[in-house]
Amino acid sequence: MAMTKSQRRMSFSAFRYLVLTFWLCIVAFPIFWMVSTSFKPDKEWFAWPPVYISENATMMNYLVVWADVSEYATNEDGDLETYTQSLQRPWEALGNSALISVIATTLSVLFGAVLAYGVSRYQILSEGRMFQLLMLRMVPPIVLVAPISIWYSALGLLDSITGLVMLYFLTTLPYAVWMSKSFIDEVPREMEQAAEILGASRARTIWEVVLPLVRSGLVATFLFILILTWSEYLLALLLSKTAVVTLPVELSKYQGSTEGRVYGRQAALSVGITLPLIVVGMIIRKHLARGFSFGMVRR
Amino acid sequence: MSRIELVNLRKEYGNVVAVKEMDLTIEDGEFIVFVGPSGCGKTTTLRMIAGFEDPTNGEILIDGEVVNEKEPGDRDLGMVFQSHALFPHKNVADNIAFGLRMQKVPQDEQARRVKEIAELVRITHLLGKMPGQCSGGESQRIALARTLVTEPSNFLLDEPLSSLDAKLRRELRAECDRLHDELQKTFIYVTHDQEEAMTLADRIIVMNQGKIVQQGTPLEIYGDPVSYFVADFFGNPAMNLIEGEFVKSGDGLEFKSGHFDVPLPAKFNAVAPGKGTFGIRPENVVIGASGQGATLEREVELVEPLGKDTLLYFETEQSRPFVSVVEGTEDVKRHANVTLSFPDDAIFLFAADGDRIR
Amino acid sequence: MTAQTTMSAAPINQRAATRAQGIRRFKWTVLTPFLALMIFILGPALLLQGYFSFFSFSIFDAGDDTSFLSYFRASQWVGLDLWADALTDSKFGFAIVRSLMFAVGVTVGCFIIGFALALLMYRPFRGQGFYYIFFILPMLTVPIVIAYTGEMILYQNGPLNDILSRITGLRIEAQFLYKQEIALTTIGFMEIWNWTPFSFIIMMAGLASLPKEPQEAAQILGANRFQIFFEVQLPLLRPVILLALILRFLESMAEFPKTWGLLQGGPGSATETIPVYIFINAWQYFDISYAAVLSYVVLILMVAIVMSAIWLLRREKKNLDAMYDAKPEEG
Repeated sequence: MAMTKSQRRMSFSAFRYLVLTFWLCIVAFPIFWMVSTSFKPDKEWFAWPPVYISENATMMNYLVVWADVSEYATNEDGDLETYTQSLQRPWEALGNSALISVIATTLSVLFGAVLAYGVSRYQILSEGRMFQLLMLRMVPPIVLVAPISIWYSALGLLDSITGLVMLYFLTTLPYAVWMSKSFIDEVPREMEQAAEILGASRARTIWEVVLPLVRSGLVATFLFILILTWSEYLLALLLSKTAVVTLPVELSKYQGSTEGRVYGRQAALSVGITLPLIVVGMIIRKHLARGFSFGMVRR
Repeated sequence: MSRIELVNLRKEYGNVVAVKEMDLTIEDGEFIVFVGPSGCGKTTTLRMIAGFEDPTNGEILIDGEVVNEKEPGDRDLGMVFQSHALFPHKNVADNIAFGLRMQKVPQDEQARRVKEIAELVRITHLLGKMPGQCSGGESQRIALARTLVTEPSNFLLDEPLSSLDAKLRRELRAECDRLHDELQKTFIYVTHDQEEAMTLADRIIVMNQGKIVQQGTPLEIYGDPVSYFVADFFGNPAMNLIEGEFVKSGDGLEFKSGHFDVPLPAKFNAVAPGKGTFGIRPENVVIGASGQGATLEREVELVEPLGKDTLLYFETEQSRPFVSVVEGTEDVKRHANVTLSFPDDAIFLFAADGDRIR
Repeated sequence: MTAQTTMSAAPINQRAATRAQGIRRFKWTVLTPFLALMIFILGPALLLQGYFSFFSFSIFDAGDDTSFLSYFRASQWVGLDLWADALTDSKFGFAIVRSLMFAVGVTVGCFIIGFALALLMYRPFRGQGFYYIFFILPMLTVPIVIAYTGEMILYQNGPLNDILSRITGLRIEAQFLYKQEIALTTIGFMEIWNWTPFSFIIMMAGLASLPKEPQEAAQILGANRFQIFFEVQLPLLRPVILLALILRFLESMAEFPKTWGLLQGGPGSATETIPVYIFINAWQYFDISYAAVLSYVVLILMVAIVMSAIWLLRREKKNLDAMYDAKPEEG
């Protein structure tokens, strides 16, 4: 039952497409479902059999969630009922999320990259210290949230943007250092020395030679950390519940709220949370791979 | 005018001594080649001259001025790296202009000089390209141009040709020679290739284990090596070196190695008996009785015609065969028995510690 | 000559010294914000944690007075009592076991799927880019969004039950989330869905970076696909594999948004993992002291795990460096 080489190749190719397409369905389905649900009118949220693509697609969920529009509908008893507009403030949460994650990420990447340059070129941190830094990221934050919240309440940092930014900076710095170091390591030292011997100053060399070569890597690092801070839930939930609400926490308020389960609304909000990250991810997908391998991959 | 002096230079990396107390003066316009095996300290020396490594001890003078404290960019040097180190994000013209820009040369003059140098190195057609689009040989020319354009007094070249193939290497070697002739600047060139050293250098500095073992013109090094190491390092095919023993025989001295026993010329009569090495260059071995010097009858193991020359191999019972070079026109068959004769003045003897015995 | 050498010794050391000093200053400048936060935020938190693990305190003890100092006034020395409680707390023990099982399962799941996909995809083929884009999507999705979307899909009248019903022809009404036996597994699958891209990306990078010649050499020597995989590719990939496994394991030990966001530890205590159990003690029972003790135990456990992980990683990195950094041509 020997196959020729081209037969083997064909059957492998068919097998590959089969497996990949199967996984593609698994990956795509939840995202499809989220988007599809966000356009469903309330009657279709819990319908059996489930509605896959609504024929009565509506923007209502988006309007209610994002534009503060109230909707009237009939309930099970046939009475006209207002969906009480909950005390959600999604735009404010969006603003908080954007502010907190952008500031924290900027700081983290800024210091991370400079530190990484020092480690790569001057060994200012030993390999042991570098691993200890990584370890900081690896301890579950839950073990420190309670005392931090007590300490924050004493400092007046509870429910503040500053408080969250500081913690996000601390928890993402290890990734920032490790990722940007793997990009900086790829710039040959000879390249810098060539600039130096041609008379370029240190700052000039970094600005004109190193930075352009690691720019895309730093962008990838920045956006990866942005993903982490944007979706962070635990710290945001416990350290800023009332005044400074971030989007993930905002979303969780819909769960078990007095309004019951409101799948369409949740989905509309979810799409809003997810969309920025997906756009960002598509932009950086080429660079993600290099930064993730932390120097454990050589090329 | 530019004269480089290394005084008592020493470099340690932890416990490893890379360069041991080196004293050397390099005159203006000289083409100096540092040559030696990997790890002999030649690149470290070059990098200390460039200023990328701080010497552990000793000083470096350029034009009589100690430059130990100067940054690499302030030493009036140009350097070509083994990896070329072109800036991949700048096009060829911008790469070449980089140094001029650092010196704040006016725009129009930059353009003029870049064009000039590109013509000199024959890469005018590449100016608009990115380094990634250029071949290895072209990259090397660009790297040269980038260094030349700032007109430093001294050029440091760190194995610039080692990443290229043989043909390109020969071509660019000739180019280096031509540039040196045209510019009359000091060239300091590091290589592990003895052929490159022989063809390029005004003066060769042979290094081993952090020390200068011999310096001189290529012909001096070739014709009068001071040690087993130098004799072995230069020449292709390499010098025949046979380990054995010097034994008294009557008034004279004889070399014995079991399979290869030769009476030595009278000038070595005073040499003390003991272990040692007998050496003769393949091209100095004469086939057939020449009437002068010792002779030996041997069977040809292998014949290797190279065209112009033919190499003959003989069994020695040691790790390497004995080789002799004859004219390509000579017809010697495998397994033929021939007479080898060793002219007196072509014989080198080395003591057990590797030093030349004169 | 001698005099000259002695004279020159000073400036030589001076240049090196100036540079070393510059580097030191640079180092501390860059590290300052980080160290400051460590000392002024994490340091006191750890101390507080230590204090409350010996002085019993619950938010209720403080009554209406919620000022910082009232916490200390209301607390009571209990010595090692709480530690003894924690170490004999069977719920805590189960939480640890649950978390470990969850993390192991998720890690292995992510790794096997991610690696298998990477193996199918690392050589260029038509559609590679298309699949790649989709396969990294889950990682870009916010965990809490995955949790809620997951609920919509797994809901009794949701599409998963519908699809299963259509395939089997029976009316299936599985309660994936609200059955004790499978709740944690369901969350585990969500976590796998979420983080398979991470393993996938790392393994793609690893496979793509492998030198081709050894594989071709093995092929010429008569090795088949599997032999090449196990004897050439796999050993060279060891450091990356280890990295993918360790990072994933540690991150899933800390998983919180999905378990908490969806099930708050329930049904029963089926999804009470370490983070959830600590959360419940600190933020539902407001037993700060007991949560502090639990946290310390977990901290010690995690540090032990992380230290051995780091030891392993460093060893692999050293091997890798030794393999690739064949001494450069040093003259």
